[in-house]
Amino acid sequence: MTDVTIVGMLMGNLPSIIGIIIGGLCIAVGVHFVPVGGAPAAMAQATGIGTGTVQLAAGSGLTGLLAAGYMYMTLSAAGTPGITEIVLICATGAVGAMIMISVTMLVGNWVYIYGVGVPPASAKKDYDPITGDSQAPYVAAGTVGQGLPTVCFVCGTIGGFLGGLGGSLIYCMLMWVNGDPAISSIFAIGVFLVNAVLPSYNIQGTIEGFHDPKFKRVPKAILACFIASLLYGIIAVTIPGIAMLTGGS
Amino acid sequence: MDPAMGMGLVALMGAAATVAGCSEDLESDIGSQSNPNSQVQLAAQVGYPHRIFNKAISGEPPSNAMYCAVGAGVAMVLMSESVMSASPLIAIAIGAFVAALLNGVFSTTSYLGRNASQTRFNQYVYLDVLRNQILSLMGHAYITTFCIVLISYVMWNQNLIGHPFPFPVIALIWGLCVGAIGSSTGDVHYGAEREFQDFKFGSGLNAADSGNITRFAEAGVRSSMDNAWFCSKFGGPATGIAFGMVVFLDNWRSTAFSGWTAVVVGVVIVLVLVIYNRKVETYARKKYGPFPEYAGDIEA
Amino acid sequence: MSAGGPGGEAVSAETANQVDAKGIGVGLIGIYIAAIAADAGIPYLIFLAGIGAVFATKMGADAVRRVCSYGIGTGVPSIGMLALGMGLISAMFGLAFGAMIGVSYVGPIVGLVVALVIGFVVGTLANKIIKLNIPVMERCLMEIAGAGVLVMTGLSVMIAGSMDFVVISEKVIVTGYIAPVFILGALGILHPFNASLGPDETQDRTLVHAYSVGAIAMVIAGVCSIAVIDPIAGIISTVVGLAIWYVTFMGFVKLVKRDAGAGYVGTGLLPPGAM
Repeated sequence: MTDVTIVGMLMGNLPSIIGIIIGGLCIAVGVHFVPVGGAPAAMAQATGIGTGTVQLAAGSGLTGLLAAGYMYMTLSAAGTPGITEIVLICATGAVGAMIMISVTMLVGNWVYIYGVGVPPASAKKDYDPITGDSQAPYVAAGTVGQGLPTVCFVCGTIGGFLGGLGGSLIYCMLMWVNGDPAISSIFAIGVFLVNAVLPSYNIQGTIEGFHDPKFKRVPKAILACFIASLLYGIIAVTIPGIAMLTGGS
Repeated sequence: MDPAMGMGLVALMGAAATVAGCSEDLESDIGSQSNPNSQVQLAAQVGYPHRIFNKAISGEPPSNAMYCAVGAGVAMVLMSESVMSASPLIAIAIGAFVAALLNGVFSTTSYLGRNASQTRFNQYVYLDVLRNQILSLMGHAYITTFCIVLISYVMWNQNLIGHPFPFPVIALIWGLCVGAIGSSTGDVHYGAEREFQDFKFGSGLNAADSGNITRFAEAGVRSSMDNAWFCSKFGGPATGIAFGMVVFLDNWRSTAFSGWTAVVVGVVIVLVLVIYNRKVETYARKKYGPFPEYAGDIEA
Repeated sequence: MSAGGPGGEAVSAETANQVDAKGIGVGLIGIYIAAIAADAGIPYLIFLAGIGAVFATKMGADAVRRVCSYGIGTGVPSIGMLALGMGLISAMFGLAFGAMIGVSYVGPIVGLVVALVIGFVVGTLANKIIKLNIPVMERCLMEIAGAGVLVMTGLSVMIAGSMDFVVISEKVIVTGYIAPVFILGALGILHPFNASLGPDETQDRTLVHAYSVGAIAMVIAGVCSIAVIDPIAGIISTVVGLAIWYVTFMGFVKLVKRDAGAGYVGTGLLPPGAM
């Protein structure tokens, strides 16, 4: 077990570090796409999903992680997955997260429309950038919109896609290093949470998607998450799996 | 595993998930957890003391993740050969019971703590509110945890689906997911409608009315117990459908298809949802029309 | 704790340095005694690692209390998740580092140092790049990450009965007991302040509450350790945890009575003037 050294692991796992950084950046950007209205949205007082950024991004991204983990196991039966397999695994994870977030947004819209009796609308733009529908007349007095108009819905699926992609990529990279699904999954959750919380401080509560003025703050989150992911990548790839420490037995 | 068995398991998981989603939402409605909690918290500060349960266990996703992870952990201890090799159903039931006890402890401390921190606003700590509602909260938490730990067990068991993640980690992820869904869907029905039921139907909460929650019931002072009655008409089942759909669709596509086909099927599902959402949106815009108070110059 | 009894007036607050010193000191001492005793063949003292984790929880809760009084925009829970995300990776790195150089006892200290560095970096990123501009951010994130490491290490050592990374990965991570430890640790750090949010929040009440949530984490970790190491040692940990929980929970209720004053009632309609 003494041949496992930190420098050796760092040099040998450079692709994994890069993968973890890319995954972290995907999560950071993805969080900005998720249309969250925070607490006001739960009172139909703001456009977006009525919950917190981190919670929703983590909920969708980790659902994707479950699908990706299963796919990795299926594919690794034929040997250690290469780049082609990794692409498939990440696509699976990304689609899993997209399904979770679109179902959530759709049922959320049901509640806004049938339960609260409001049409989805946003006060940030006069017209929906995708469908061209007018927004302002449908915004209730004293609120800044409610529900999820099409533009927010599409942004949400993009956010889910990026979140699931990032989470799965981090998982695959960790599997390359330590080959243990248990260690990799729990670490992927840890790295995911850090990369989701930092952008949520950048957003400060609410965001609607790429049409929101706050979306211009993305570069700051990318820089912050780049540094944080670099640090995490370096630390995470130096943690070996059990098989390496016990001599592969 | 033969395909019929696989589809049967996916259907079972979907059904269990529907129950879990519904009870999760009702639990958070009775306790005023998650985002609608901000109005309950605000009410006393703007001069409307109340007898509504005020519980904030760190937002729904982490708290549900905690119940499910603890339930799965305890179930795993009981199932391990070195302890008693209990049968999975009994082990999951006991695990869910322990999780429900934790729910009781955390709910108690948050009700007491939050109300005691608002003494200067004349907000009382009512022990009968606590005693009446804690069992209902624990009961709903039990159902949620039981169903989710069951789903996780089916996913984890090597003879069934055989997911590589450890059992409690799967339960943690599904708990996080059900909490995220519950706070995004069903809670809106509680926050936007039930909490402000004496306002006119058909609009969101005007910011000027923030904190003016409905504190009086049909007769007397409203307690949170009635929220389950109201929200079980729509918000709870809607949450159940959402979580059931997530669990079912996601597992169905990876059980019935493999490789890139599963990915393509998933993308098709998402596209169908986007189009259907657009239909619902146009329906609502046509049906409700623009708000009559609107005075701007943009055409509806 | 300088917790006053019923009717105690303005309670002298515990300063951040005192809380940190106790958290790190008791945390590390507890973890080391437990691990050394377990290695020497006496697993019955592993509950000390849990007590270390309880004090570390209190240190994290106090840091959350200070940083969240600035209003961080996304609610209290996110910072707890951040804490344990940072704590988990640092803790495992520390233990793995110990295994790699063959001296497993350096694990918790290395983990703590790494966590302090990560906490400082993340705090600086939040303040300088994201421009949150919260003056205590760096320090509080260092404390929160450090508390996360000590909680994770303490509870893991308690379950596995060893400080060896191989044993911990086999018995805590692969079995999945890390999941309840992870999330209960996070709730222990964020729940005490979140549950006492309000203008009349008092430090001693929040910190007693932190002990009690930490004790719950200790109880659950004790239950998990029954299946992993010696059952008697696991039962001892569970019972000690339950005892700490009972004492601190009753202490919390007492402080609620003190803070709520006349508002602590058995039943009743709305207060005078509100009907």
